[in-house]
Amino acid sequence: MSLMPTGNDTVIIGIGEYQVGSMPMASIGLGSCVGLVIHDRKMGIGALVHIMLPSSQGKTDRLGKYADTAIDVLIKELTRNGSSPTNLIAKIAGGSAMFKTFSGNLNIGERNVEVIRKLLKDQSIPIKGEDVGGCVGRTIFYYPKENGKLVIKKGDGTLGEI
Amino acid sequence: MLSANVSMSVPEIKVIDISEIYKYVGDEIAALVLFQVNGEVKQGGFLLLYVAKSSVIRLTNAMLGLTETNRELDEMDESALLEVGNIMVSAFLDGTAELLNIIMLPSPPQLVIDMPHAAIESIIASQDSVDIDEVVLFKTELLSDAHNIQSSIFLFPNHPMLEDIIRRLEELLNPPT
Repeated sequence: MSLMPTGNDTVIIGIGEYQVGSMPMASIGLGSCVGLVIHDRKMGIGALVHIMLPSSQGKTDRLGKYADTAIDVLIKELTRNGSSPTNLIAKIAGGSAMFKTFSGNLNIGERNVEVIRKLLKDQSIPIKGEDVGGCVGRTIFYYPKENGKLVIKKGDGTLGEI
Repeated sequence: MLSANVSMSVPEIKVIDISEIYKYVGDEIAALVLFQVNGEVKQGGFLLLYVAKSSVIRLTNAMLGLTETNRELDEMDESALLEVGNIMVSAFLDGTAELLNIIMLPSPPQLVIDMPHAAIESIIASQDSVDIDEVVLFKTELLSDAHNIQSSIFLFPNHPMLEDIIRRLEELLNPPT
C-alpha cells in the first residue's frame, strides 16, 4: 500500500500513538493530524507522535492523541532515556484542512499546530523545521540516526525533507 | 452511463481502533467523493466513494467517451467523478434503506484527490472526537469487469446512526413475534 523506503524495521505510528527510540519511524497519511518529532541532537534518538486533537480535556488513556499529553509524555520518556532537555529540538508536519464545506470543526488542523507551537515554546524546545497547513495529505519518515532527518511525501506527489 | 454492469459486494463490517486505520486505508493517492449523511438524526456520519487512482482515468474515459489514458485530470473528470459518486452512493443508500428500513440522505458531494488516510482522519478529527477511539467501517467493493475499475464505498456511521443500524440488524435477525 505505502511507500516504504526503509524496509521492515520502520515503526508505523498510527493515530494517537507514539514511539521513542533510534529506529526509523513513520506516520501514514497525516491530514488535520500533526506528526510531531522531538529529537535529541546529541544522542541520535528521538520520538514521533501522531497527534489528533489539541487538548486531552483531562483524559489520560491515550497520551499520544492530544497535543498537551503527547508533549508531556515525549519529554518524560526522552528524559528517562538519558536525554537532556537542552539538546531537544522539534519538527512538525501535517495540520492541513482537507475539506471546506462539511459541518464540524474544519480548522482542527490549524488549532493543532497553534497549540503544539505554544506548548513547545513553554517547554523551551525550538522548532527546527515545519511543513504544516495547506489542504494536502502527508506521509512522514523520521530517521533519528541521520541527524533527525524528516522526509515528507505529500498528496500532490512532491517529496521534501526538513 | 458506463454501458456496463457494476456489481456491488455484500458489505464487510469492521470495528477498527483509530491507531490502525492506516492498515485499511493508506496513502496511495485516490479519488474520494465524500458525503455527509443525515438520517433520522442529523449528521449520521460519512459516506465515501473511493476510486483507485489507476482506475480514475479508465472510469472517466468510459463516461466521457475518451480513449487517451495518459492525460491529466481536468474539470470534466472531476464533474464525472462527482456524478459517479452521486449514483453509486444513492444505489448504496437505496440498498441499506431496503434491507434495514433506515433512511439516510447524502449531502452534496465533495471531491478530494489525495491520500485516503489523510481525508478520513481529518473527518474523524472534525467531529467531536475526544471520545472516539474506534470507528466502524462498512466497506462495499464495486466491480466493473468491462472497464477493470477498482472502487469501494465506505460508511463511517457516528454513534447514534450506528446504534440505529445495530438495532435494526438485530430486529432482522430476531424478528419480533
